[in-house]
Formats: sequence, C-alpha cells, structure tokens
Amino acid sequence: MDYYLQQLVIGLSLGMVYALVAIGFTLIFGVLNVVNFAHGEIYTIGAFAGLLLFVSFAPPLVVVLLVVLAVGALTGVGLERFAFKPFRRFNDEATLKSRAMREATLMSSLALSIVAREGIELVFGSQFQSLPLQHMLNSPIKIGPVTIVDGDLIIFGTSFLMLAGLQFVLKHTSVGLSIRAVSNNALGARYVGIDTDRTIAWTFAVGSGMGAVAGILVGLYYGAIFPAMGFTPGIKAFVAMVMGGLSSIPGAVICALIIGISEALSSIFVSSVWQDLVAYAFLIITLIFFPRGIFGGARERV
Amino acid sequence: MKNRRQLLALGSVLALGTLGLPAYAQQPTYKIGYQLPLTGNTAQYGIDFKNAAEIALDQFAKAGKSFKVEIVFEDSRSDTKEGVAIARKFVDDKSIVGVLGDFTSGVSIASAQIYKEAGMPQLSQTASHPDYTKVSEWQFRNITTQAQEGPLNAEWLYASGYRKVAVIAEQTDWGQTVVSNFADKFKALGGQVVFSEFFNRGLADFRPIITKIARDKPDAIYTGYFYEDGAQFLKQMKQLSVTIPVHSTSASYNQQLITLAGADAEGMKLTATFLPNNPSKNVQDFVAAWKAKTGQAEPGQFPAQAYDAVNIMLAALERAHPNVTRKSLRDQLAATKNFPGVTGDTTFDADREPSKKLVRAQVKNGAFVAVEK
Repeated sequence: MDYYLQQLVIGLSLGMVYALVAIGFTLIFGVLNVVNFAHGEIYTIGAFAGLLLFVSFAPPLVVVLLVVLAVGALTGVGLERFAFKPFRRFNDEATLKSRAMREATLMSSLALSIVAREGIELVFGSQFQSLPLQHMLNSPIKIGPVTIVDGDLIIFGTSFLMLAGLQFVLKHTSVGLSIRAVSNNALGARYVGIDTDRTIAWTFAVGSGMGAVAGILVGLYYGAIFPAMGFTPGIKAFVAMVMGGLSSIPGAVICALIIGISEALSSIFVSSVWQDLVAYAFLIITLIFFPRGIFGGARERV
Repeated sequence: MKNRRQLLALGSVLALGTLGLPAYAQQPTYKIGYQLPLTGNTAQYGIDFKNAAEIALDQFAKAGKSFKVEIVFEDSRSDTKEGVAIARKFVDDKSIVGVLGDFTSGVSIASAQIYKEAGMPQLSQTASHPDYTKVSEWQFRNITTQAQEGPLNAEWLYASGYRKVAVIAEQTDWGQTVVSNFADKFKALGGQVVFSEFFNRGLADFRPIITKIARDKPDAIYTGYFYEDGAQFLKQMKQLSVTIPVHSTSASYNQQLITLAGADAEGMKLTATFLPNNPSKNVQDFVAAWKAKTGQAEPGQFPAQAYDAVNIMLAALERAHPNVTRKSLRDQLAATKNFPGVTGDTTFDADREPSKKLVRAQVKNGAFVAVEK
C-alpha cells in the first residue's frame, strides 16, 4: 500500500511540474490561437538565467525567482516582436482571418527556438550544468509512509500562486480584460479600439515570465539544467493544453496532473521505457473521442 | 573576367605544386578522418574527444617524425544519417587513409557498412556493442566491451556476498549488453537477478523506478548508465532514502558525476580502465596536458580512450610509413601489440577486440579511488 501511495505522490509532483509549464503555454495559445513552439526555450532560458544568478551573486531564492520572471517577460516580448509581430503587419480583415498568416508563426517560433537552443549549447555546451548543490530543492521530507521534497511544496505553491494571480489579472484588471477580449475575437477587439499589439505583447510577457520561472524551479528541483531541458516538459504541456480544451487554463492544469499521475502509476505495470507513451496515448484519445478537449469550452475543434 | 581569375589561380597552384614537390616528398602528410558529435545532445563527449585528439596530435608533431599527420574532424551529431554521410565523404577523399570514431555504437556500426565496402580502416574509441567489430575486418575498437566488463562485475558483486541484484540500464544497444552480460554470469554463479528494467536516456525522474526497485529489496543494484543519468539516479535514491549499494560500469566514470551528484555519489562502485590519479608518467603527462588545454579538472575515461585511439592510429601509421595505404594501415592496426596507452596496455586480438585490464574503483570523499573489493 505504501508503495502505491509513494508512486501516487511522485505522480502528483510530476504533474505539478507539467502544470507549471502548461499555464504560460495555454495563456499564449488562448490569445493567438497558435502554438508557441519557443515556450520550451523560454523555460530553458529561465533556468540558465537563474543558474547564472546563483553562481555569480548567490541571492535568496525569492530574488532569483523575481529576476527570472523579469528576464522571461522581456525574452517573451522579444520573441513576440521577432517571431509573431511581423506576421500581423497587415490589418485588413482578410489577413487577420487568414489561417496561413497565423500558422506561419508556428514556423517562425520553431525557428527562433532552434536558434536559441543551439545558441545556448554553443556558449554553455550541451552537458548538464553543475549547480551549487545547496541551492537544489530536493531535501527529503517524510510524511508518514511517503517521502516528498521541499521542492514539491515550492512548486505546488508557485503553481497555485500563478493560477490565482492569473485569474485575478484576467478578471479584475484592464490588461486582463483586453487579453480576454483579444482571445475571444481579435478582430472585434480591434474594432472597439483595443490595442491588440500591445495586448499580445503583454500576454507574451506574462506567459513567458511564468515559463521562465517554471524553468528555474524545475531545474533546481532535478538539479538538471541543460540546453535541451525544455523539450519534454514542452511536449507534456502541449498535451495537457489539448486535453484541457486548448484555451482553458484550469483545464490544462488538471490535465497536467492527470498526465503526471498516470505516468507514475503506469510504471507500476510496465517498464519505464513506455512512460512517455502515456502522454501520447492521452493525446490520441482526446483527439478521437473529445475533439473539443475534456473540459469542452473550446471555440473550435482541436 | 571570372574565367581569367580562375586560370590564374590554377596556374599559381600548379607552379606552387611543382616548386613544393621536392619538399613534400621528404615530409609526406597523411590524413585521418575523425567522425564525432560536436553539436547536439552528446556534443560534450565529441568535444572531449577532439581536445584529446589535438593533444595527441600536438605531442606527435613535437616528436619530430619523418611525416606529418592531419586530422579532419566532422560533426555527426550522434545521428546515424549524418554518420553515414560523413563516412561517404571520407571514403571519397583519396587522401584519407584511416578513420577514427564514431561515439555511439549505433552510428559507428552504420558508418562501418560504408567503410567495409570501401576498405577503410575504422577505429572507434567508444563503440562497445559486440556487433561493431563483427561488421568486417576493417573495424577496430579501443574500449573493453560489456562481454569483458559484465562477467567481471558479476564476480565482484557475487564475491561481495550479494545474491539478489536489481539491474537497470538505458534503453540502447549498449544498455542491452550491460544487462545480458552481467545477468548471464551472475546467474551462472548462483545469484538471482530479481529486477531488470530499461529506461530512456535522459529520463528526468527515476523515482518511479527507484520505488519499484526498493519494493523488491535487492542486496545491490547494478546499473548501465552514463554520468548524467547516473547523477540523477543517485540523487533521487538519496532523496527517497533508499540505501542499497550501487555498482556501475566504466561508462559512468566521469568526474562530472561527482560534481553533479555531490555527496549522493559517495560509495558507488564501478570498474574502469583509466584512473587520473595513476602515478605512471604517461598518465600524468596526459592529465597535465588536458588541464592545460581545456582548463577543466581531470579527464574522465572517454577522453583518455580517444587519446589512446589516436595514438594507436599514429603508431600504426608510423609502422606503415612510407608505404601508407588504407590496406597497409589496416594491417598495421591489426598488428598492434602491447601498446602502452593511458588506459592500459592494448593488444588487438584476431577479432580486432582490445584486451585491457580493468580496475575496481569507488567514489570516496569526492574522488574515484582504486579499491580491492
């Protein structure tokens, strides 16, 4: 029994890691209706920024998180400026409604993500970076028969804060209102005088800041910071987003937890080589049986 | 205009060629190809190999031999397709007489098919899959295989009194040989393999596997991983307070394992061919040259393996000189006997497999040290 409980707890903590990445990812998708392939690299950049900070100044964790949030936000705005904005330079209705123009940004964000990853690799090398071990978030805490680590609590707390903060921003601020308006109908928002470019830049700032914070937290949690670290969490976050119905942030978080728990529990029955299959199986099941996502709500089919 | 410039260039090349001919006749330059990952996920290994090769080449140039050697490095990204493309390129370049690399067994074997067709000697510093040297008489390796290391470890664990052992390894050709070679011998000795599982290289979270292993309560865990996965595994063992002794192969031998895992790496035992604190002169010379060139700490086993591979190739070239062809180089490689390298004395047997002496080592106070048991 303890064994199953321990696997469940590990699954929960895996799920929380995925949720942390999925929040920013889903926010950006909700506004642009297009996948931002560079989100995984924002996550990596966050981790490297935090690592550099730890190595050179050794500040307390909270300071690191705030600086990383700022770095992520700035990188996100830059990303939007170079990979997304050039494809919105025409404001006529036909262009705004054109799927081709929108989906061209799939490629441009993918291109920037490759440039960023290879750039980091060129400077730092592709190996795991050595980080001061005392900063790692993995001191065990025993709760009855199961073991968790302090990082689990910090990641849970951060996910919760992000989710609550985001709900507050979206529901109670003017930026949030315009984000929701653009997300709902970009053309309509423009017609009623909302500065869509500025709103989109804000969305990238918020979403990427969160992605960067996720990167440093997970990097410290596993003690593994390396250029390709954003790939797997990016895939899992993508699946969680699709399962959750594309633009529902709470839906994505719940689905991220489901994926994490299923992965850990699957390892009870099958070899861990098959663990990644779980997420893909969920993706296929969602696409076939729940084309609007498990939590419905989506405006169009996945 | 353009044509005339080309003609001019051609003319000057010809003129230089005839002028330079007598000088070159005395100092021929032989070219060696080296295929290795310089970018991508395994770039750190390839870059280490390149540094080690440059140290070896530098020392060779300073020794004042009667010929010169050039190494052409090509980046394979540890990708089979890239590796094959490089192999074709090397084969087409008539001035290349021998090839070093690749890093992984998979890419080495794929490239070996091209070298087999063309008749090009290939010496890999790390390809340890049994099938690699079976491709043809042109393939050599400078690393002990799991066929040698597995049984040795099985005897070691059995002699330590362990009877129930869990085995995990990465899901690669190499990982499969880690498990099978160890398990066969351990079972033959009368031990029991109570748990056996593979994982994908680069797995972030080993905790589900560790929890599973702990449930089976083995006496020890035998692992087939490289240092990064090793560090993750050891850290997460500690995190879950699982204190089963861990044994591993020479593949995890790397100072970075200790840097990444810190105190959690203490006590891990493994077999190795190269220890940087070996006092013999050639090892200490290599360690000093490595530190000076890379500014890093002591080299791990893999750079040492590459350094020896390059030197074995150079020694074979020297024996074949002045009649160096791909064929004569292959025959001289095959004749390598008791080559005194930093990874021990190397002799190629009839199957072009090296025989080397493995030492037992353990992580103690943040360093790999030789141990008796």
